[in-house]
Amino acid sequence: MRRVGVGGITGSREAFYATLVLMGVLLFVPQLHNGYLENLFRGILMFGAMSLGWNLIGGYAGYVSFGNVVFFGLGAYTAAVLSAHGLHNVLVAVAVAAVVAVIFATVFGIPILRLRGHYFGIATLGLALATMEIISNLDYFGGGTGLTVRQDAFFSLYYYVMWAVCLGSLLATYAIARSKLGYAFVAIRENEDAAAVLGINTTFYKVAAWAISGIMAGAAGAVFAFANGFIDPDTAFSTDNNIFPIVMALLGGAGTVAGPVTGALILTAINETLWSHFPKIHTIFFGAVIVLVVLFLPRGILHLFRARQTARVFLESLRAYRV
Amino acid sequence: MGDVIMRVENVGVRFGGLWALSGVSFDVERGAVVGLIGPNGSGKTTLMNVLSGVLRPTTGAVYYGGKKIADVPTHEVCRLGIARTFQIVKPFANLTVLENVAVGAMYGRDGAKRTTSRAFAAAYELLERVGMARIADRPASELTTPDRKRLEVAKALALDPEVLLLDEVMAGLNLAEVDEALRLLREINESGVTLIVVEHLMKAIMLISTSIVVLAEGKKIAEGTAAEVTTSQAVVEAYLGSRFADRQARLAEMRREAEQSGRGAS
Repeated sequence: MRRVGVGGITGSREAFYATLVLMGVLLFVPQLHNGYLENLFRGILMFGAMSLGWNLIGGYAGYVSFGNVVFFGLGAYTAAVLSAHGLHNVLVAVAVAAVVAVIFATVFGIPILRLRGHYFGIATLGLALATMEIISNLDYFGGGTGLTVRQDAFFSLYYYVMWAVCLGSLLATYAIARSKLGYAFVAIRENEDAAAVLGINTTFYKVAAWAISGIMAGAAGAVFAFANGFIDPDTAFSTDNNIFPIVMALLGGAGTVAGPVTGALILTAINETLWSHFPKIHTIFFGAVIVLVVLFLPRGILHLFRARQTARVFLESLRAYRV
Repeated sequence: MGDVIMRVENVGVRFGGLWALSGVSFDVERGAVVGLIGPNGSGKTTLMNVLSGVLRPTTGAVYYGGKKIADVPTHEVCRLGIARTFQIVKPFANLTVLENVAVGAMYGRDGAKRTTSRAFAAAYELLERVGMARIADRPASELTTPDRKRLEVAKALALDPEVLLLDEVMAGLNLAEVDEALRLLREINESGVTLIVVEHLMKAIMLISTSIVVLAEGKKIAEGTAAEVTTSQAVVEAYLGSRFADRQARLAEMRREAEQSGRGAS
């Protein structure tokens, strides 16, 4: 019998292996004993995990969430609250943050995942803002001033845990993209009515996609809280943390396994370069980069590596926008 | 034959102030090919939506194996053994033909028993059966109209259905393609699948159906074999208007009288 194409929705297999190699290299960053680089790469790993998370709901299931920062923020606050109660173990914080994310995604996902398209995006944005406001106004969470998180271990531990969270998210995405679960997500993205008629319980799978998405962002948030040593509503629910993962996934290639991590690496590199050369106006350049990417590489950078299609994709974009 | 697989009882569907369907009842026998015809806007697609559990009827019910279809969530209807195609085809455009069909094999009636690779194998076998194996790796977005229609049928078949609802799978096909589609439908039926077919192409539906239900303005106006429904005055009236129907009826009357008087003279 013919070998049939299992794994068609993982995206480029080579890109995935390249990302694994990259992850292997990143494990040794703390050995450089360079605080700046360690912070920078911990940020890339953090955004990698968040972007992989967004990719599951936005890239695979096709539900564009503009509020995944809520999971990151809740994860960070979970760590801070545990720490305030004397529990300073980052691994415990990651585990509890994951549970919190699943509960939150299930409770709110069931009503708002009935909304389609833009309406879902707006609802997630509202949910994130409301959660931030509620936390800002509760003394239990330190209100607007925030909470400190005690760093109770050698500092590089937080780098290694962030690395593990990112790798775990990457491998989980790969496993999902090769399973029935991945095909349920993609079927929902491609046509929800057709998916339901083919036996896919769309509500269940949408909530599942959002919950797994939340686990990845929540775990990253918990580690971030420890590494940062301090958490307040503005850092935990920052707009950057909301938008960057989306742009990274789009830049690398939404709906592929390797795309988000690639995007996180490239966008952070661009951001750092621009920031160091144009400290005052770097955001303008940064915005321009985002616009150009969306215009000319709507399917992400990884798509360029399919040499045969590169020229075509580029020309199609040119034609579509009549540039 | 004679074994009723699906019972449609007094089904009515109201959209706001309009009854898209009212008081429709008929039985579907196991192994039959039921043709569902009617002029535009007569409620055929609405009825298909009720039969497939996508739409809950305002009155009445559809029974299948002792269960009310309206009580079953949409995604579980296919696990009962009912599969459908959509009039406006809904392929998963960014997936290959094989993947499109494999999704059905993963989540359909026998889906729970299949691993991902077993589902792909089942999907490939099915593509060979419907003659699409050579384009298995092509993205669904690149298919021609007849292939899209055929993919729609293949996806539904991947659910291993007992009853297959086909909504205008032949619309937009040329004559040769219609012949091929008819051959495929006959083969599916012979493999034991009951078919309910909505089609505008009269010739096609007359050829394949074992019984025909005619709808007009949401009501069943005739039911029977192809010969019976085409001679029904109500059907002619619904399709061609009452003046034409009256004239035809008068012509038929005159012909009968002429025959009788001719016989009388000889």
